[in-house]
Amino acid sequence: MKMRKEQQVFVVSFLAPAFFLYTAFVAFPSVRALLYSLQKWDGLSIPEWVGLRNFYDLFGDSDLFVAALQHNLILMAFGGCFTLLLSLFFAALLHRRVRGATLFRVTFFFPNVISSVAISLLWVLLYSTTDFGVINGCLELIQRALVSANGHLSAWGLPQLPVIPFDLPFPFAGTKYLIYSIVPMIIWMSTGFYMVLFLAAMENIPETFYEAATLDGATEFRKFWHITLPLIREVLTVGLVFLVIGCLKLFDAVWIMENQWPQKESHVLATVLYQKVFTEYNVGYGSAVAVLLFVLVFLSTLLTLRLSRKEAIEY
Amino acid sequence: MVSAIKSIVTYTILVVWLAAVVMPLVWVITNSLRSSQEIFRNPFGAPWLITGSPYVDEPTVPAPVQAVKENYQKAWVESHFSRYFANSVLVTTASLIGVLVLSAMASYALARFEFRGNRAIFLYFLSGLMIPAQLVLVPLFFQFTYLSRAGSWLLRPLGFELQLHDSFFGLIVIYIALSLPFTILVLTGFFKSLPGTLREAGIMDGCSEYGVFWFIMLPLSRPGLVTAAILNFLGIWNEYLFALVLINTPDKKTLPLGLASVSMQAQYRTDWGLMFAGFVIVMVPTLLVHLVLQRQLTRGITVGALKG
Repeated sequence: MKMRKEQQVFVVSFLAPAFFLYTAFVAFPSVRALLYSLQKWDGLSIPEWVGLRNFYDLFGDSDLFVAALQHNLILMAFGGCFTLLLSLFFAALLHRRVRGATLFRVTFFFPNVISSVAISLLWVLLYSTTDFGVINGCLELIQRALVSANGHLSAWGLPQLPVIPFDLPFPFAGTKYLIYSIVPMIIWMSTGFYMVLFLAAMENIPETFYEAATLDGATEFRKFWHITLPLIREVLTVGLVFLVIGCLKLFDAVWIMENQWPQKESHVLATVLYQKVFTEYNVGYGSAVAVLLFVLVFLSTLLTLRLSRKEAIEY
Repeated sequence: MVSAIKSIVTYTILVVWLAAVVMPLVWVITNSLRSSQEIFRNPFGAPWLITGSPYVDEPTVPAPVQAVKENYQKAWVESHFSRYFANSVLVTTASLIGVLVLSAMASYALARFEFRGNRAIFLYFLSGLMIPAQLVLVPLFFQFTYLSRAGSWLLRPLGFELQLHDSFFGLIVIYIALSLPFTILVLTGFFKSLPGTLREAGIMDGCSEYGVFWFIMLPLSRPGLVTAAILNFLGIWNEYLFALVLINTPDKKTLPLGLASVSMQAQYRTDWGLMFAGFVIVMVPTLLVHLVLQRQLTRGITVGALKG
């Protein structure tokens, strides 16, 4: 269909502002980042082309980048997996028409709308080794109970219970353990979001499927495994993509919990990027990190989508 | 019997997680109602505001009501949270209006008109969903320098200076640009679901294309706009990285930046009451929006995920 002149003017005038802004401030800078990553530049003098030297440096020069990448993978492996499993579990529980489901749904979502800066500061307090540290406080109570129980058990000649194998209070938010300590925080703050996502998908499944399964005498677990899970597969994949991207891009938590000065033991990709560019003025190196971050996001999205497209079920 | 046990187990699990989520937040709120001395003596006690202060005779310990007033006054006035709050409101509102207007226009054109390159332009916008903000951060930082210079040179005859670094304008432009892909995705889907005959009817009655958009399509797309607005609001209100890089002047800080620096000072001075009051000021707006508009928020998440 050919548009009239008037319509052409309309379409162009409506598309142009967004197109221009997006091109100038998203698409163009993305290409620039690629070019920066091939240069050696301190942000002031004339940049020098160095080819793939920056990428070579990422892996060869020091092991900072590799360590940071490893930390992102740790976050993904532990934080991502547990978030996914826990949110799926909660969604399945609420899907069975629990009374007060709205209350749980709304409340579980709370941490997701709170500023990540506030959440990181709050968790520093929760992990604290001072009187504020609830987590250390609870562990100390448990430890004391275990030790006293062991005293009784040994009096009776019974085998001992395992005790917490480290000294309390434990510096959870210290540089050395920071990455592992962020894992529970990630689970705490994102489970609600993914639960809402999966629950919405589950509610689209026709009730008749479950009725038929009930007539055939299927247990709750088999219904979940054979009906719910296959039918929300697409949304599950999307959730997985979101989680992977989120763990790759993580910045705020490390930055805040490390008082804006992460060490090698606590760096993630985004903080390496920031520190290289804005405190060491090594723009090329920082941009190479950014480009690799993009490549990782891109590949994991593509891979996950490809894997899920195979057998989408229509109903 | 079995089902009773089942539901007890279900509720136990749900309530445990509920407590894990809510208790830290309740702790923040109650501690914002207590004086620093009170918090120091017991970080987890009930506020003396409710139980009554055991130190009524000691002049160094402030009365409970006084403590609440002091915390919030210190946060709001002395620590400039009023300023940060106003800055965040300004930046978020301007960015939201900008991104909604631009995305609505572009989405309408993409959803309702067939022309060569339509699909390509849509995909071009969508490709932005894959670009992590960190990728554009560094180039934008340097791009702003020469854009400011060029803009100032153009605007100087009119008596204007263009400043993108350390300015709300720069921050707003970035927030709009980065929010475009997602918003266009949501709104294009929405405009496609509206009946096309409405436009024809409007044209028949002598409305221009602009009139159809403004008087017919825009009011009809309000649910979609609300959904997009909430999701963007949450993202922009809490955004930290770009504000950290671009804003230097203390007076121009947004809430996340302000909270980070105030909380560091407050901990150094062990002014716990002030710090918790700051937490509350940052948390309350988004929590309220979530509570009031949670239905639209949930729908937005689903729409975004299913189409994305």
